[in-house]
Amino acid sequence: MRAAYRKGIDRKRLRENLPLLIMFTPVLLFYLIFKYLPMGGLIIAFKDYNFMDGVFHSPWVGFANFRKLFSDPNSLNIIRNTLLLSSLSIFVGFPFPIVLAILMNEVRRMWFKKVVQTLVYLPYFYSWVIVGGIIFSIFGIEGSWLSHLFVFFHVEPFPFLYDEKSWVAIFVGSGIWKDMGFNAIIYMAAMTAIDPSLYESAGMDGANKWKQIIHITIPGIAPTIILLFILSMGRVLEVGFDPVYVLQNPAVSDVSDVISTYIYRVGLQGAQFSLTTAMGMFESVVALTLLLAVNGIARRFQRGLF
Amino acid sequence: MRISFGDKVFQSFNYVVLILIACSSLFPLVHLIALSISSSAAIETGKVNLWPVGFNLDTFNLLVKGTPLVKSFLNSVEITVVGVALCMASTILAAYPLSRPQFYARRFFTLMMIFTMIFTGGVIPTFLVIQGLGLVNSYWALWLSSLVSTYNMLILRTYFENIPSEIDDAARMDGCGETRLLLRIILPVSMPVLATLTLFYGVAFWNVFMSMLIYINDTDKHNLTVLVQQMIQSQSVLQQSMMVQPDEQVHVVEEGIKAAGVLVMIAPMLLVYPFLQRYFVKGVMLGSVKG
Repeated sequence: MRAAYRKGIDRKRLRENLPLLIMFTPVLLFYLIFKYLPMGGLIIAFKDYNFMDGVFHSPWVGFANFRKLFSDPNSLNIIRNTLLLSSLSIFVGFPFPIVLAILMNEVRRMWFKKVVQTLVYLPYFYSWVIVGGIIFSIFGIEGSWLSHLFVFFHVEPFPFLYDEKSWVAIFVGSGIWKDMGFNAIIYMAAMTAIDPSLYESAGMDGANKWKQIIHITIPGIAPTIILLFILSMGRVLEVGFDPVYVLQNPAVSDVSDVISTYIYRVGLQGAQFSLTTAMGMFESVVALTLLLAVNGIARRFQRGLF
Repeated sequence: MRISFGDKVFQSFNYVVLILIACSSLFPLVHLIALSISSSAAIETGKVNLWPVGFNLDTFNLLVKGTPLVKSFLNSVEITVVGVALCMASTILAAYPLSRPQFYARRFFTLMMIFTMIFTGGVIPTFLVIQGLGLVNSYWALWLSSLVSTYNMLILRTYFENIPSEIDDAARMDGCGETRLLLRIILPVSMPVLATLTLFYGVAFWNVFMSMLIYINDTDKHNLTVLVQQMIQSQSVLQQSMMVQPDEQVHVVEEGIKAAGVLVMIAPMLLVYPFLQRYFVKGVMLGSVKG
């Protein structure tokens, strides 16, 4: 150890390191300025920030911002919405890529597999504005595809995007639709690592496709499933800004207003920097805690991430 | 091997489900294309499903003449091209040193980067930093604040690490320095993963939305994403006004225009997508190995 350390500072290694350090400096600066400096900026969550005094000279207020957040029914509702929308997206959405990967794994016609893959990966690359445009063209109250269908059958059009329950369903569904294909890639990669002889011998023993999936494919990708589940725990209090901002409307704001849109509206547009920083910090701390907790549980089963 | 009846049923079910899923991706796109090139009357009466009725290009014409579409398209191109160049350069400069076993404190630096994936300062403190640097209303706010994606960096680092060390040993024997080694040997053999990351960064910058709203106030500098979003929103505003005073002509054109606007956003992506697809599948698989 000691020898290795001494070797570490010898001249040859320093000479080798010099160009690498020069290369690395801009990147290090990026992380310090744009990632770690904002973490330091979290102190304004404990201050009453104003433009005149700046980050350093604004007065300290302790936990007042947090107390305000957790006593205000409006911000509590926003936390509740965030939790609801993200857990629905995580738990309802989680099986979809797995099922898709299993189905694709069973396809033997390569051209068919290629065509399906090409199509299902595509929505992942759409921006939420595009997805929003598609959603409106299908579910919109007037002039949309479904509204024409309603007119055709002489039924009163249903306001899908203006009803809280159907809005939540569309929100969760569009997220699943967008990411399902792309997320399936990881599971399909895991499946290529399964020994094909397992399927052969199972087939010999008379196991049908269904049994092969249950007893070979799913156990084979279980580590990947657990890994991705741990990672998704870090997002349990995180609902992206774009989907909500694009799909929301005043009629559903009681369920659609989430932390990210709250920070944008109240923080950036309403200039309440300290209060919304406290909200953002709450989100980050919960994410970190959950990630560590779930990882701890997974580690008990030798499946931990770190 | 004999295929049992049950397996046949399973296979047919499998194909049907996959065809349905594939159609769910394909049909909305085809519907938008049909809407954008159909006549207003046909859209209004709901005749347009997957095939254009009464072909014309009025919507695109109106978009180009009546909206700042061309300007924001060029803005999007500028943001994407410069952004991708900067991000690729920085990601390479991050991944290469971290992939070298002799690099000082590589474990510390790697952990320092990974930590930013699970804990961040958040929107407001980041905004204050950008504002403090005087970058508000400049595209540098978008470029600098997302210079390195840690996830992409890890993919690239893993790829570099898996390049056989014999290659760079041989190069070093010939007196090749780090910079030349990187440019002449490492990068050329890393083309597939570089293509993947280019796609990821390109899509991220092409679609950039929230940062645009936060950092860019000047409407002349807005990109396609923000313009199309405003078109969609103003249409819903229009709908409310139409409840009071129905005006069919305006309403119909708006439907087609909206579809056309969305298509202008998708089109460049559709053009490069088929060429890069085989790369990004490999790239994601690679990233999943050592996530």
